[in-house]
Parts: sequence; C-alpha cells; structure tokens
Amino acid sequence: MLDLIGALCVLFAGTALGFSISARYADRPKQLRLMLHALQRLETEIAYGRTPLPEALARIAEQMGEPLAALFRNAAAQMDGTRPTDEAWRNAVQACWKQTAMKAPEQDVLIRLGQSLGGSDSEDQIKHLRLAMRMLKMEEENAAEDQRKYAKMWKSLGVLCGALVVILVF
Amino acid sequence: MMTVMNVLPPRISRLLNRLPRDMLPDLEEIRIREGRPLEITVQGRFHYLDADGQPTRSADRAYRPDREDCRILMDLLTNHSVYTLEEELKRGYITVSGGHRVGLAGKTVLEQGRVKHLKEIASFNIRIAREVRGAARELMPKLYDAEAGTIRHTLIVSPPQQGKTTLIRDIARALSTGDIAREDGAPSPPLKVGIVDERSEIAACIKGVPTFDVGPRTDVLDGCPKAEGMMMMIRAMSPDVIIVDEIGRPEDAEAIHEALHAGIRIVATAHGQSFRDIAGRPMLRELVSEQIFQRYVVIGHTYGIGRVFRIYDRDGRMIDAMIVRNAHA
Repeated sequence: MLDLIGALCVLFAGTALGFSISARYADRPKQLRLMLHALQRLETEIAYGRTPLPEALARIAEQMGEPLAALFRNAAAQMDGTRPTDEAWRNAVQACWKQTAMKAPEQDVLIRLGQSLGGSDSEDQIKHLRLAMRMLKMEEENAAEDQRKYAKMWKSLGVLCGALVVILVF
Repeated sequence: MMTVMNVLPPRISRLLNRLPRDMLPDLEEIRIREGRPLEITVQGRFHYLDADGQPTRSADRAYRPDREDCRILMDLLTNHSVYTLEEELKRGYITVSGGHRVGLAGKTVLEQGRVKHLKEIASFNIRIAREVRGAARELMPKLYDAEAGTIRHTLIVSPPQQGKTTLIRDIARALSTGDIAREDGAPSPPLKVGIVDERSEIAACIKGVPTFDVGPRTDVLDGCPKAEGMMMMIRAMSPDVIIVDEIGRPEDAEAIHEALHAGIRIVATAHGQSFRDIAGRPMLRELVSEQIFQRYVVIGHTYGIGRVFRIYDRDGRMIDAMIVRNAHA
C-alpha cells in the first residue's frame, strides 16, 4: 500500500516537473508577444501622444498583466531624477527579469533599447523602437519554434521519467 | 529659487545648497558645462564653485560637472523625453517648471541647411526666473493714461538679465488687478490682459495655468509665436492690453498695427542698451518713427543697488528717471 503511494508520488512529481518546464516554454512566446504589444503602445504614446516617458510607461503598466506590468511600473518609478534614463530602465529590466519566462537574448534587446529611450526626437525614437520590435519578433519566432519542439516533449518526458523511476525502484 | 533645485542633478543641487547664504537670493544664472568648471552668476558677476559649494576665482579648484551630471540634468529638464521638446531644442532653449529658462548648446543636426535638432548637449545656461510682486509699482503711474483709464503703448528696453520679463509680468498683474497707484489718487479699473508668452517665461504656465501671479483677468497664450499669438488674442480674447516679450521681427510690427486698430494697448519689450539703440534697429526703427509707442522705458545697470528706469516720450525725449532699489539690497 505504502509502495503504491510512493510510486504515485514519484510519478506525480515527474509529471509536475515536466509540466512546469513545458509551461516556461509556453510562457516565453506569450510574454514576448505582450512585450511587443507594449512597445507598440509605447511607440504610439511617443509618436502621436508626445507623452513624457515616465507617464507613458506607467500607463502601459496599468494595462498589462504581471509580470511585465511590474517591469514598466518599476522603470517609471526609477525615473526620479537621481539617475539617467538608461540606467533606470536597465535596473527595472534586471530587477524584474527573474519573474518572467524570457531569456537573455530579449533582455539584451531591451537593455539596448534603453540606451536610446527618451534621448532623441520622435522620429529617431520610432526607429529604435521598431528595431527592438523586429528583434523581439525574431526571438518570439524562435521561442514559438522551441515551444513546438520542446513543450510537448517535456510534458511526456516528465511522465516517462516518473514512470522510469517507479519501474526501476519497485 | 527653490524650484530650480528640482531640475538640478543631486550633486549640483547639493553644492548650491552650500552656497553662502547671502548669495542664494541673488543667484541669476547657473552655467553647467560638461568637464569644465561649474559657474554661477550673482549680481552680474561670475564665480566658479568648488567641490564644497564655495565661490572661487580659480578654475583649477572648481567643481567640474561630469558626463553623468549632464545626462541627469538633461533627463530632468526633458522629463526623460527629448521628443516632447523638439521645437524647443530647435530654438536652443527650454523653459522649465517655475519659469526658469535653460539655454542649451551642443551639436546641431541640420536638415536642408536649417537646424533640425540639437544633440550631444554639453552646455547649459540656467537663468533663474524670479517673481517680484511690485517690481513695476513706482513705474506704473508714469505709464498710465488716466484719461483712457489704461496703460499707454509702452516699449521696455534693456539688455538681457536686467529684469525686463520680471517687470512686464508685474505690469500684467497690476493692470489685471487694478493695483496701480495713480497720480490723481483715483482707483484704476482692472483690465483684461492678454499675454503672448512665446517662451513661457512671463507666466510660466504648467499645463496652461500660470504659476506666476499675472492677475485675475489675464489670459495667457503659452508657447505661441508672438505675431500669430497677438492676432489670435485680438480675434479671440478681446483684451484691453496685450503684453508680449522681445519683439523685433517684421511680422511683429504687423500684429502691433492690427492691435492698434482694434483699440488695444500694447506693452512690449525689446533687447537694447538705450533709446538710440532701438531707434536704429530695422523693424523697431519703423515703429519708433511712426510714434506707435507713447512711452519707452530703458532699464539701466546698477549692480546690486537696484535698477534705473529712464522714461522717454514718443519723440524720444527723456521725461523722467528713477532709481528703484532691490527689495533685499
């Protein structure tokens, strides 16, 4: 009886691990898409609304779900006059990154965007935002590809690993 | 004065806070140049500031703002959003909360031979705006047209940094509230005043609302080109008096004529050293010879003591002169 419970626990743990890794594969393209939407909104705020950056970031944060909302909120809060824009943005990206499913390549893209954010005329801002969006789009395609390849695999791998351990042990 | 601290990087505002007590109220300019000595102007004289915020003559001992200071300053001035100030950067200055004007120099970006943008900004000249209520008190009776119950067409002439803008701000306030000590002792009716504030210096509007006291019956067209703004005022706001800073372009003259036809009084300012100076300037010369202005007020230098107002009539004859002491001097 106890054996059976133990076996079920192992099986369950394996499955859960597989699902959680698989969920990260599914979250990354989703969050990248949300980030793309956010940058699209930022472009509108800058190009048409001429909204000051901290206000624009705060507005975007209000309309987004976590964990990305935290990043924008944090960035807006960091622009308090004690540090330059790029530093504020970089701090926010780094502070919130752990809570997201996104990876290093998109972090690089965002930090590089931060170096020009707010620092030039709107024409130039649009160029930088478009470039960042193009690169995020590429990452999103990669992420979707990875999701197709690995998400299912990790799910079944979790169950199978659990089963394997059960078989080996009992 | 304190409002200017809000746009200074932490290190520089800390230095200025340590400035000797008697210098702070007379601070006129703060000049920040990347990698070069921090400079302030007090009562028309310049000083460098050392790392303890003490004035010094030696450029070697002076504090030198670094790249980070300048970047934070730029971010504070623009609220991290250069793209909201494209027009201002093209003209080379921005006005910040509190009416302080910040002149900028850096690398210009040209488009078809005209300045399109300013980037890599490494020189900042922060001119501190001050509201001096009553700055025009002694002057107002001399400019008042008791018969018409309003001010005469007046041109105020002075070199930069002598308080032209402070003066017309107070003229606007006095006319708008009816706070004028007339020579005959009669009360003066509050008038509708229209300010065309191209550089946002007179009223220092934030989101359309003046931060300086320009009177209860005053309308402000903020950030509007002068000539166009005067026409808009005439058409839309039916002011009794139009107040405008630093005229000197041909289209300004046209707008002034238009205002005259509409029976509106004009108070304007112009850069210049003396009456003869402006009588020789291209567009102003015409206005002078047409005797448009009934009074000219020339503001003179008196470092530290106060200001000298010389008042001329429409023919350029000096009819009065007065010294007005600074409130705190």
